[in-house]
Amino acid sequence: MLARTKTEVALYAAVCVAILLVPVFLQDAFLLNKYARYLVFGMLAVSLSLSWGYGGILNLGQAMTFGIGSYCMAMLLKLKTVPVHTGADGLPDFMVWNNVTELPWFWTPFYSPLFGVLAGILLPAGVAALLGWFVFKGRVTGVYAAIITLAAMVVVQLIIIDQQAFTGGFNGITDLGQFDIAGLTFDAYGSSSYYLVAICLTVTLFLALAITKSKAGLIVQAIRDEEDRVRFFGYDVALYKIFIFSVSAAIAGLAGMLYTIVMEFASPTFLGVPLSLSVVIWVAVGGRQSLLGAMLGALIVTGVQGALSESETFLDTWTLIMGLLFVLVVLFLPQGLAGAFASLARRFERQRPTPPKKPAPHTEPVANGREVESTR
Amino acid sequence: MQASESQLVVDNASVSFSGFRAVSDLCLTVRAGELRCLIGPNGAGKTTALDLICGKTRLSGGAIVFKGKPIHRLSEHAIARSGIGRKFQVPSVFRALSVRDNLHIGHSKQPGVLANLTTFGQGGDTDDIERLAEMVGLEDELDTPAAHLSHGQTQWLEIALILAQDPSLILMDEPTAGMTAQETKKTAQLFNRLGGRHTLIVVEHDMGFVRDIAQTISVMHQGRLLAEGSIADIEGNQAVRDAYLGSGGIGHA
Repeated sequence: MLARTKTEVALYAAVCVAILLVPVFLQDAFLLNKYARYLVFGMLAVSLSLSWGYGGILNLGQAMTFGIGSYCMAMLLKLKTVPVHTGADGLPDFMVWNNVTELPWFWTPFYSPLFGVLAGILLPAGVAALLGWFVFKGRVTGVYAAIITLAAMVVVQLIIIDQQAFTGGFNGITDLGQFDIAGLTFDAYGSSSYYLVAICLTVTLFLALAITKSKAGLIVQAIRDEEDRVRFFGYDVALYKIFIFSVSAAIAGLAGMLYTIVMEFASPTFLGVPLSLSVVIWVAVGGRQSLLGAMLGALIVTGVQGALSESETFLDTWTLIMGLLFVLVVLFLPQGLAGAFASLARRFERQRPTPPKKPAPHTEPVANGREVESTR
Repeated sequence: MQASESQLVVDNASVSFSGFRAVSDLCLTVRAGELRCLIGPNGAGKTTALDLICGKTRLSGGAIVFKGKPIHRLSEHAIARSGIGRKFQVPSVFRALSVRDNLHIGHSKQPGVLANLTTFGQGGDTDDIERLAEMVGLEDELDTPAAHLSHGQTQWLEIALILAQDPSLILMDEPTAGMTAQETKKTAQLFNRLGGRHTLIVVEHDMGFVRDIAQTISVMHQGRLLAEGSIADIEGNQAVRDAYLGSGGIGHA
């Protein structure tokens, strides 16, 4: 393993351990719930960093797959309350209010928690793969691809709002049961849910890191830089893009499921434009070409946002302050906080008396030329 | 014109861009291991001819047969996998990645997503990557981001990338553009070493370079093949002289 990779892994591990240790020092249920929510946003930022920072695919509809995941979990948890506190025939309450008489076919499999959890990961990945198939096989790139992702998200959101009888419409799916697995029950306001989110985040972060370090991850980055060059080496560029887009969607779906567990409801706002654009801001602030940077960007921005909006001094002005922060970062730190940190580290390294400086690149060709002359 | 002797047969290839025939009824036959130069005045359709062979541009008529199989309907990556490599006129490398990573990606014998998902580090490619870097004089720059290389070095890096791909047919579009005289000389030596193992089609304006490397020269003019033959044949050809008329002669094109 390269020395740089080792440092990176150590840094990632240190951050994850710090996150996992929080409940040891903090017993406040309300705060733990709030921090778990921030961690979910961190995971969402990691997913966007994969597709945007590494794959060069700016997904303005990242909340689409997040929302699909959260609805899968909500359906699973809603059926857990049936028939305890629902109306006749063991139907979810909102279906009874909408005169639905029979559980729709696509709800039935969610009686199985395993199906629900798998669906929350595989369905977003599948939807992304299908969308990606049309976009990337059709060689749609740049802003046009971004607009399509945004439009697709709005479509899914409108369908969910429109199909009130099956999705709860505007109100979303509320009054859920608690998620449990292998005898463990995850209370949204307990350390168990925090640990669940923190462990999922750790696993996701390292999985995503492994992908970026593999040759496939390298090829994805190469596609971001010079798509045609990669194509003429014999790689199927569209397949690589579909792959990274789907992995990103699967992670967003997992984050969505966790969000439902932490929030105890699912709502169409989870697939909204405001959330989607927020993710872009978090990732831009943290540094889109660093998974850890993107995640910390989400924690910092949502954390500051939470602190400002709850303090009396900034009650009226906090959105302005957030906007100003974003503008400053975009203007002065194009690679985000992670990029600034990396260049600081490089400057520090250069000041240490390390190996002699390499000759400047432009002197090289002349040297080569002489060598050619002498061998002739 | 037997497919068994010739590796690449371009048969009456034509393409037009909104009415303008960039290449019309072009016929080329290239033997395996040959080093062929493609020259011609500006706008003769040389780059378009390479685009047609590697699939970047689609034929409107005719056929292209490589190793006995028609390839003009295949997708670009399928054409590349069949053994055709392409160097672009404007050097195209992965600027954000190190020279080493660039070469690692050039190694594309294994193009599938899943296979590459389980490949970490350089794998078995390390020796080959170092050999290639040495071949083009970049052995001290392996960990330098490609963005920091000089123009000539960037050209060489792209050539090394194509060699990492190891295709049987290499299409080079103005490989010495922007190189110093010494660099050009070194490139000529390199190309002469490649002959035999690889088939090369080189589009070039630098006649000195062409004299150093070419075995056979094909001259294109206004989308058509004007003449074909040895250097002496081409330089003595009246039609070729006429085609270059006004552009200062063949040597200055």
